Amino acid sequence: MLLDVKDMSLSLKREGKYIRILDQISFHVNEGETIGIVGESGCGKSMTALSLMRLLPDKARLEGKVVLQGDEITSFSKRKLEKVRGNQMSMIFQNPLTSLNPLQTVGIQIEESIILHTKMGKQQRRKRVLQLLNEVGLPRSEELIDDYPHQLSGGMRQRIMIAMAMACEPQLLICDEPTTALDVTVQAQILELMNEIKKETQMGIIMITHDMGVIAEVCDRVIVMYAGKIVEEAPVIELFLNPKHPYTLGLLDSIPKMGIRKQKLGSIPGTVPSPEKMPTGCRFVDRCSHAMDQCRNTLPEMIEINENHYTACWLYDEEVNKSGSIGSQKPETAFHY
Amino acid sequence: MDVLKFVAKRLLLMIPILIGISMLTFAISNTIPGDPARLILGPKATPEGLESLREKMGLNDPLYIQYGRYMVGITHGDLGESTYSQGPVSSDLIRYSPATFELTLFAMMITLLIGIPFGIISASKKDRMADHFTRLFSLLGVAMPAFWLGLLFLLLFYLKLGILPGSGRLDSGMSPPHHITGMYTIDALLTGNWTVLLSASMHLILPGITLAAVTIGMITRMTRSSMLEVLQSDYVRTAHAKGASENRVLYGHALRNGVMPVITLLGMAFGHALGGSVLVESVFSWPGLGKYAVNAITYLDFPAVMGVTLLIAVMFILVNLIVDTLYFFIDPRLKHN
Repeated sequence: MLLDVKDMSLSLKREGKYIRILDQISFHVNEGETIGIVGESGCGKSMTALSLMRLLPDKARLEGKVVLQGDEITSFSKRKLEKVRGNQMSMIFQNPLTSLNPLQTVGIQIEESIILHTKMGKQQRRKRVLQLLNEVGLPRSEELIDDYPHQLSGGMRQRIMIAMAMACEPQLLICDEPTTALDVTVQAQILELMNEIKKETQMGIIMITHDMGVIAEVCDRVIVMYAGKIVEEAPVIELFLNPKHPYTLGLLDSIPKMGIRKQKLGSIPGTVPSPEKMPTGCRFVDRCSHAMDQCRNTLPEMIEINENHYTACWLYDEEVNKSGSIGSQKPETAFHY
Repeated sequence: MDVLKFVAKRLLLMIPILIGISMLTFAISNTIPGDPARLILGPKATPEGLESLREKMGLNDPLYIQYGRYMVGITHGDLGESTYSQGPVSSDLIRYSPATFELTLFAMMITLLIGIPFGIISASKKDRMADHFTRLFSLLGVAMPAFWLGLLFLLLFYLKLGILPGSGRLDSGMSPPHHITGMYTIDALLTGNWTVLLSASMHLILPGITLAAVTIGMITRMTRSSMLEVLQSDYVRTAHAKGASENRVLYGHALRNGVMPVITLLGMAFGHALGGSVLVESVFSWPGLGKYAVNAITYLDFPAVMGVTLLIAVMFILVNLIVDTLYFFIDPRLKHN
């Protein structure tokens, strides 16, 4: 196992008190596997990524365990963690323009990762940067190396970000909405590049997105997050064919499907509850059309539905099902391929 | 080439600005009640004597004729005769300005050496002791009137402790170094005259710090807020994600971006210091333009007042032009656009 996250919780200080943003997140990533984390804005996807990298604001409290290749990095000192970041574990961000230093050439910025984590000489480093630029599909790398970020297009900038993250051949790559800020055509190119990189390396990837299309394109396994908790986890095909949690169903229902004429796209009523006013039971209860009394009072545990398919919903609890009260309420599967 | 075009445009713009300033100063100094002729001839002057002197000085002509005559003179490098020093204003300016430039440059040097590091410390240690201390310090600097601070310094370091000289540019009995720039410290350094250099430097300390107090406060506060903004930016997060240490992020990525707005303010601070020299020079009997201007005003010596005002205006505009031109070399985004 490449990465094992156990009961990770994150609290941020707001107006004097700690507010829990992430609540006991547990998941794992295997070598060579791409995990998708999906959910609406504000559900804690990006915070999960930043917690793994520990790129958190000063007043943040992180609990639980994060084990990367056998090392419990949650216990690492700042200095020790700097050796892991950009080396074993890299990250790509959403907005490639603001994520690059405007006053440094892209060459220098890619080279910095190499300087920080290897003992390569100047000539070697330059060679490596040129090689990386070629690997991420940027032509005329000899000229590009001395360009500034503002001289490049959005897609090129994101390729630079990828080159920067790949510089030290990390074992784990975290991508936080890498295609969201890009044109649709460029998005496809970047995803294609991600798939190529995936094939060539044995790197584990965490792909954070709100776009089910991106999930379908690159992921092996998917984690659905809602309001700081994981509500469903399944292999990608299983999730699309057999979604269980009403929230996942809602997400899938809200994307247009090729070849199916439908009057109206589905939407989920309401918004994500704010961390200060989290319901005591299931966090989706106020927006769920299948909500029961039980949902309101008690938080559902993750239960195994199929092999590797888990969800946290009372609808699938054996006890609840035995009582027979809701047998007919089970949601219809959204997809029929 | 863009740089040259920019500089040429700005130099051309200087002309209308200076005409505006000259008109304003001319109008204001001529509406001040009082008769220069009477001041020159003293209380026992006869009406005939007064009348003939007024006629000789051109004071009986309408204001626009007087102004026109003055402006024609300027184009020939003639700034008029000073009634106070009984010589041409231009040679007075040449005589008194080096002292003021020396003081102002010294103040700007202290401002840079203290203001920027203080701002950086304040931002990187936000809400901690070091931050509170520098914020209090800079607030005091901005809030305290220069003449009052000057008097306090005189009381403490000159009268009470007796460790620093309180007036003039050199110890009494010491002759100034060979005239090269007119700035004693620089001339002494160039001619290797160490005793004069020491004396001149000691004399600079109190007026220099008094003059710099405000600008240090300004620069510290600006550096702090600008650095705080930069430290929140995406590219700083990227640098952390690459595994760069706190110091590397601070000095390698944040600093250069953070000082950008500070540079503009430096130009403004320079102008502030030039203007502030009028008060500070009076407090410390510093024989510069400020002291010359104060004397000129009390003697209703309009050509001298005009001369000093225009010289300071030209200096201010030139310094700001230099500062703005600096951006072409610091910010690659300007070079390529």
